[in-house]
Amino acid sequence: MCDDLRVALTVLVIDDHPIFRASVGRLLEVDGFRVVGEAANGQSGLRLARELEPDLVLLDVGLPDVSGFEVAERLVGTRTRVVLISSRAQRDLGRRVHETGAIGFISKDQLSGEAILDLIARAA
Amino acid sequence: MRLLRLGLALAGLALGVVAYRVQIDNLGPFTSSERAAAIVGVAWAFLLAGLAAWSRRPANRVGPLLAAAGFALLLRQLRYSHDPAAFTAFFAVSELSYALVAHSVLAYPTGRVTDRAERALVRIGYAATLVFPITILLFYDGSQRLRFFDPPPRESLILVAGNGDAAVLIQKAFVVFVWGVLATLFIALLARKLVRATPRGRRILAPLLLAGVAVALRAVFEGIFTFVDRPSVIVYDYLFWWQIAAFVALPLALFAGLLRAHLARATVGDLLLELERTPPQGLRDALARVLGDPTLEIVFWLPERGEFVDGLGQTATLPRDATDRAVTRLEHDGVPVAALVHDPSLLEEPRLVRAVGAAARLAIENARLHADMRAQLGKVQESRVRLVDAADGERRRIERDLHDGAQQRLVALALQLRSAQRQLGAARDPDIDRLLAATVVELQEAVEELRELARGVHPAILTEEGLAAALETLTSRTPLPVSLDVSEERLPAQVEATAYFVACEGLANIVKHARATNATIRAWRRNGMFVIEVEDDGLGGADADNGSGLRGLADRVEALGGRFVVESPERGGTRIAGEIPCGS
Repeated sequence: MCDDLRVALTVLVIDDHPIFRASVGRLLEVDGFRVVGEAANGQSGLRLARELEPDLVLLDVGLPDVSGFEVAERLVGTRTRVVLISSRAQRDLGRRVHETGAIGFISKDQLSGEAILDLIARAA
Repeated sequence: MRLLRLGLALAGLALGVVAYRVQIDNLGPFTSSERAAAIVGVAWAFLLAGLAAWSRRPANRVGPLLAAAGFALLLRQLRYSHDPAAFTAFFAVSELSYALVAHSVLAYPTGRVTDRAERALVRIGYAATLVFPITILLFYDGSQRLRFFDPPPRESLILVAGNGDAAVLIQKAFVVFVWGVLATLFIALLARKLVRATPRGRRILAPLLLAGVAVALRAVFEGIFTFVDRPSVIVYDYLFWWQIAAFVALPLALFAGLLRAHLARATVGDLLLELERTPPQGLRDALARVLGDPTLEIVFWLPERGEFVDGLGQTATLPRDATDRAVTRLEHDGVPVAALVHDPSLLEEPRLVRAVGAAARLAIENARLHADMRAQLGKVQESRVRLVDAADGERRRIERDLHDGAQQRLVALALQLRSAQRQLGAARDPDIDRLLAATVVELQEAVEELRELARGVHPAILTEEGLAAALETLTSRTPLPVSLDVSEERLPAQVEATAYFVACEGLANIVKHARATNATIRAWRRNGMFVIEVEDDGLGGADADNGSGLRGLADRVEALGGRFVVESPERGGTRIAGEIPCGS
């Protein structure tokens, strides 16, 4: 089941750190996801999400223009599922991490295809 | 000048005796010795108050005007004489006395009538009180009784056309115009003057209220006497004595008002004694009391800063427009020391202000040094706040740098190693696989350590979500049950950061030393202060002066103008509290 999901999943990465975007893109490709786009800020991320309609957005909480929480809230109601990510720990982000409509949170250093699929499976 | 005034006083006293006799001898049963004496008493009150005021304040015209009014009131009584020349002469000028009274009142307290409307009223008053009586004399032939006169007719030496009815009609017109129209305008101008005056000015102008009452009583008296055929004796009597009382009190009140500055100057000696035991912050009140100006402000010249400051050392700007506020600069040997910002009415009393300034010179100099010290302390305080701000800014910058730099690189490295593990796939060497896995774990631990470091430097959630969220996160990591009661409102960054570090250090101490089973953090706003309180049920015995943590917190709270308290009785738990100013 996991393998089927993985084949079908298209991913948009929204994060302002190029080095992270490059690394996570490679990892996700290796793990069988298809990275369809990258954005370095919230506004272009939202635009790409509407254009590409990916299955999943990996969304950094701390973006330079708008907060990742706000971007997640604006994606509620679309077909795209949102996974919040940050290099900070979840408990350092407060209650808002649970209030945006995102399916979950993964600390960046814990990111992997399995971790994402696990969240999706739990949200289903 | 003194001889002149003495001569006038003696002449006035003699004239009073003559006036009394003329009234008694000529009006017979139409007057009484009490009434005649009362009228002379009013005149003498004006005369003596006027001469005294003239003597004390020679440059002020109110004194001579009051004295002139007194003479005019005495001469007025001579009109009752049956001698044609005396009757004609003194009847012609008999009403001039009230014009002089009005002039004195409107000239009070400066001696000058500066308002255009008031000047016009004075001129019209003089003209009317001269023209009407003279016109009456042109027609008075003795066929009709004159107001206030007994029946036997007098002889007008300037009779032109005998017409008693015309004379009576002109008398009535005089009363309507002078005691109706002009008296109303006079009272209205007094009311306007009082309404427009500053609070201090209003106190100085208090005698004007008495003038208004006196003129109103006289106007009613004149009206009743002229237009009521048989006025009630009781009403007439009451009106007579009340107006006598008012007209006696009026010159005395004006005199006292003019003397007020002298009396105030006399209290300058007391001021010297008072200032000896007055602290710098009480100087303003002491000077305000002596100058009779509760609105008085003192600002001090600080030559090093080239500006005036108030008692707290805050920059003060002197008002430029003297309409609402006036400024008197105080200097010593030509060097500015301070300035008094006061009610403009004090400009009329420059000697009083100068005397107070001179008497209070030492106290003012002392208060100036005090203000200078406060100003410097204020600057030190501002600099401490800036240091706290700068340190917080630096902490935020370091946290951001850690987050955006080292943390991202370590995270990327971990992800790349994980990619490498995946890419090696099933063919991977187990040793290499273990090495890669161990490296990833190491990297994750390094990332966690960096997070911990960044949290300690400045938790990002504090900036992004506020104190309540940051404390919630903090307590979730504390190995102790902590109950939280913290206001959700956002506060200035320096207040939130200080409160956070108080809570953080408090919890750290509890965990390290207190052996507590429970802790409580409360934070709320009270009277412009934000209070953060950390309490535990541990061993107690903490000492704020022993150890850099609590001392550093106290410095930080005090740098923001707040207060830091540690209560930690042996075996009684510990309570630390910071009260940080946060605006209203």
